[in-house]
Parts: sequence; structure tokens; C-alpha cells
Amino acid sequence: MKNSGQMAHVIHHPAGSLRRRLWKQRWLLLMVLPGILWFILFKYATYAGLALSFTNYGFRKTVSFVGLRNFERLFRSASFLNAFRNTLLISLYNIVFYFPFPILIALLINELRSLRARRTVQFLIYIPYFFSWVVVGTVFVNLLSPSSGIVNQILRSLGMESIYFMSDVRWFRKVLILSYIWKQMGYGAVIYVATLSTVDPQLYEAAEIDGCGRFRQVLYITLPTIKPTIITMLLLNLSHVLMIFDQVMVMYNASVYSVSDVLQTFSYREGILTGNLGFGMAVSLFVGIVSLLLVLGTNWISKHFLDDSIL
Amino acid sequence: MMTAKRANAIRESNARKAFRICNVIFLTLVCVIVVIPIWNVLITSLAADKDVMGGVYLLIPRSLTFKSYARVLNSGYMRGFWNSLFIAGVGTVLAMVITTPMGFALAQKQLVARNFFMKAISLTLVFDAGIIPLYVLIRMLGLIDNRWALILPFMLSTFNLIIVKNFMMSIPTSFVESAWLDGCNDLMALIRIVIPMAVPILSAVTLFYFVSFWNRYTEAVMFINNSSKYTLQVMLRALIYQSDGSLGEGNIVYDNTKMAVMVLGMLPVMLIYPFVQRYFVTGLMLGGVKE
Repeated sequence: MKNSGQMAHVIHHPAGSLRRRLWKQRWLLLMVLPGILWFILFKYATYAGLALSFTNYGFRKTVSFVGLRNFERLFRSASFLNAFRNTLLISLYNIVFYFPFPILIALLINELRSLRARRTVQFLIYIPYFFSWVVVGTVFVNLLSPSSGIVNQILRSLGMESIYFMSDVRWFRKVLILSYIWKQMGYGAVIYVATLSTVDPQLYEAAEIDGCGRFRQVLYITLPTIKPTIITMLLLNLSHVLMIFDQVMVMYNASVYSVSDVLQTFSYREGILTGNLGFGMAVSLFVGIVSLLLVLGTNWISKHFLDDSIL
Repeated sequence: MMTAKRANAIRESNARKAFRICNVIFLTLVCVIVVIPIWNVLITSLAADKDVMGGVYLLIPRSLTFKSYARVLNSGYMRGFWNSLFIAGVGTVLAMVITTPMGFALAQKQLVARNFFMKAISLTLVFDAGIIPLYVLIRMLGLIDNRWALILPFMLSTFNLIIVKNFMMSIPTSFVESAWLDGCNDLMALIRIVIPMAVPILSAVTLFYFVSFWNRYTEAVMFINNSSKYTLQVMLRALIYQSDGSLGEGNIVYDNTKMAVMVLGMLPVMLIYPFVQRYFVTGLMLGGVKE
């Protein structure tokens, strides 16, 4: 009798305390509620929606299961493979040419002596980050225009031919990367500068006494300090590098289609403009999974290898 | 020995000086590359018609007139401006009303199911369903051609939420606990104690939200087909790449007028940025981007 009473107590206690905890935290729970509902509706419902990629959703009134047919069609489609290739190439160029740039700029800003100069540089280079891709696209159209653009004026004054940057298949991807650098470098640089300011100045003093030159101080003190930020930024960058969309939608035109059609523009055209939503979903699911693998893979690599290396 | 050391020090400092000068030149060049195109947009928008004909890249102002702005103010582009301002204004307010309390609640270690919430939220940072599922959802909700289609799906950003949460975690718990002792509930503690301490980070996040609403392009193209509901960015893209004739005689729109619309497209953000800028460094550093 005594025993079972104790059992009941043990069993009932957690439930009672949970109810008490919920009641005690009613305000906190009320605060997360709208956000949780938002995540369910606008994130997890869209994840569930991806199941439509196994159906013929879009054309007919009735939706039927078609198995992997959308994916079969996808991998046989030459324009899909071209879009995939373009996306990978643009992403690769992005990582190679854009990614180190803000780090370099931040290191150089950090070397400026005057606080006011540091602030001014940061203020100015951050500005383009706030421009829409439409604005940035227009800025580059003006800058690179074959007739009035300043770049072609310089080229002509050096006795060269005008280059049709925006419609030349050899140049268009370079324009995409350059405009990406122009728009985004300030954002990255300011984040790195903020991290750099957390380095204890005593470390530099100690290194100097030990006879470390400026360059080795950067190598052994500065870079290790910003390593976590670099990895975080790399992961963030990788998580949306395959999602490149706005920039291409705004800047591309028919003449550079072959080098700039990316997965997102492809899925937009096939899914929404053509109306084959099930097929478009298959593209979306493919991009989402490849992105996820890219991020998780990089995360795994950084965890297992970079942690014991000197970077 | 002594002289060798001194010579070394002098050589070092010369190299150092050379580096400093190169550094200043390089960073100045970077700033010039950033500023010149913006300067060009500004002075082109203020130039007279005759000075922008025949395609020139203006770097030195030749004339100063607000004629292009007068033209834009009387055109259909103002409707796009108000549409965008409505979306960005309402969207930003709603976003902050949701993000701030949620960030605060998630920062409280005792919150029920906190780990589960954090895992479910972090997943959305690395996996994105993409545009087609969102389009289908908007269509099912009957929001096509509705301005709310550009507000509701974007009134929370996982990234901003985590920045706010991380900042709130850096506030010592004793502040919230002392508010409890004064008889405050969690909501009152948030409003009276935590929000005043979080002004820098909240200002930065407000600006990020505003920018994301104001600049949104692709979704605006996908969700809005009715031209009276077009946002300014959509109209601006159309103006630059194919002119629609509503701004000039026939089909000719002078560059000065195009650039005046551009300025309109950057205006609200550029007005807010200088005031929020001083919070950026501290705000982003404390909030961090890492979980």
C-alpha cells in the first residue's frame, strides 16, 4: 500500500510539475507562440509541400502520384544540367573570389591608425549592402555601358575596343561576381572588423617583445581569433550560394542565358511560368538537399580537421 | 651589435611606413570604387535633359535642377513607392513585434522545450524549401495579388531571430530576476528592463528587416501580377530594362529621370542608415552570428 502510494506519487509528480512549469512560463510561451506558428506555416509547411515533387501537381485538377518521374526528367534535361553547371561555377567563383575579400579588407582596416579613418571606410563600403539587386544591376549597367559607361570610355582611351559586358557570354559571369563583391564586401568586412576588435592588445605586445613581425602577428594571433567567424561566414555563404536568384533575375538577358541560367531561374521558368509545379518542386527539393549536404559537409570538415590545425 | 639592431629597427619602420601608405591608397581606392557609381546616380538625377543626352557618364555636375524629380513625383512610380513603403513599414513593425519577444523567450534557459525549439529553428537556417513551395503556399492561401503576400512570409528571419536571442543571452539573468521581485511578469520585464538595454541590436535588426522588405524583387514579381500593386523595385527594373513611356514623350525616358527613380528606390534606407550605423559594430559584435 505504502509502496503503490509512492509509485503514484512518482508517476504523477512530473506531470503536475510540467503543468506548473507551463503555467509559470505562460508569458514566455505566449511570446514564442506567434513565431512558432509562423515557422510551422511558412517553413515546415513548405517542407511538407516538397512532397508534391513526386506528383504531377500543376497541370490537372486531379493530383496523382508519379513516383520519381519528375526527377528522371530532371536529370535527362539538358537545360537543367546546364543550369546546375552554371550554379556550381558561379558558386565556386563566389567562394574563391568574393569570400576572402572582406577578410582582407578587414585586416587592412584594422591596420589604419586613425579611428575616424576606420569608421569612415566602414561607413562607406557598407552602403551598397543596402541597395537592392535592381539598384546594383542598374549601377553596373551604367558603369559598363558600351556607349556611355566609364569602363568602356577608359578602354577606348587606351585604344581598345568597347566590350559588351552585359551581353557577352565571356564576361557576364565575371560581372555577376564583381557586382556581388561590390554589394556585399562591406557587410562581411564590418563583421570581421568587429571580431578583430576583441583581440587582447597585450597579445600583440607580447608577440612584439618575442620578436614577431607584423605579418607573423597577423598569422598567429589575428587569424586564429577570427577563425570561428570565418567558418561561420563560410557556412552561411554556402547555405545560400546555390540559392542565387535575385541577382541573376535582375541582371541577365537572353544573350547570356547559356552562361547565367541558374537552378532557381530554371525552376521559376519551369514551375511558375510553364505551370508544371510538380516538376519545379523537384528542382527546389534537389537544390535544398544539395545545399544542406554542402553545409553539413563543410561543418563536418571544419569540426574534424580545422580545429587542430593552425588554419 | 647596437648599430645593427638600430639599422634593423629603421629598416623595419621604413617597410612599415611603405605598407601604411600603400594601405591608405588601397583602401581609398576601394572607397572611391564604392562611391563613384552612387555619386554618378545622384548627379545624373539632378542634371538637365540636355546634359544627359548622347550617353555620358557624369562625374562632374554640369547643371543642377529638380526637374526629373518633379516628373517622377507626378508619375505612376509614386504608387510603387507607396506600395513599397506600406509593405516595408507594416512588415518591419510586425517583424519586430514577433522577433523581439521570441528572441527574449528563447534566451531564457528555463523555457519549456527550449532545445527542441532551437533545433527546429536552426534547421531552417541550413535547409530552405525554395521558391516553388512558397509560391504554391501563397496561392493556396489566396494571397496572389495581395500585398500581404510580401509581408507575411518574411516577417520573421531566422538569422535576425538568432542575433536577437544571442544578445539577450548576454544580459545577466539578475536583471530579469530583479524585475520579477518587483512584481513584473516576463512581458513587463522584457518591456521595462530588457528592451532598453537592447536598443543597439534592435535598431540594427529593424534596419535589416526594413531593407529586406524594401528591396525584395523576385517574390514581388512572382506574387503580384496586378500593375496597380507593383512595388517600386519591380517598376524600377522594368524602367531600366524596357521603358514603358509613362515618364517622357513617346518612349524616350532620359537618364536623369531614370536615375531620379533610382534615388527614390534607395531613399528610405539611406535616410535611416546613418542613424543606425553607429550601432552596427557593437550590435553585431555582441550579437554575433554564431549559435
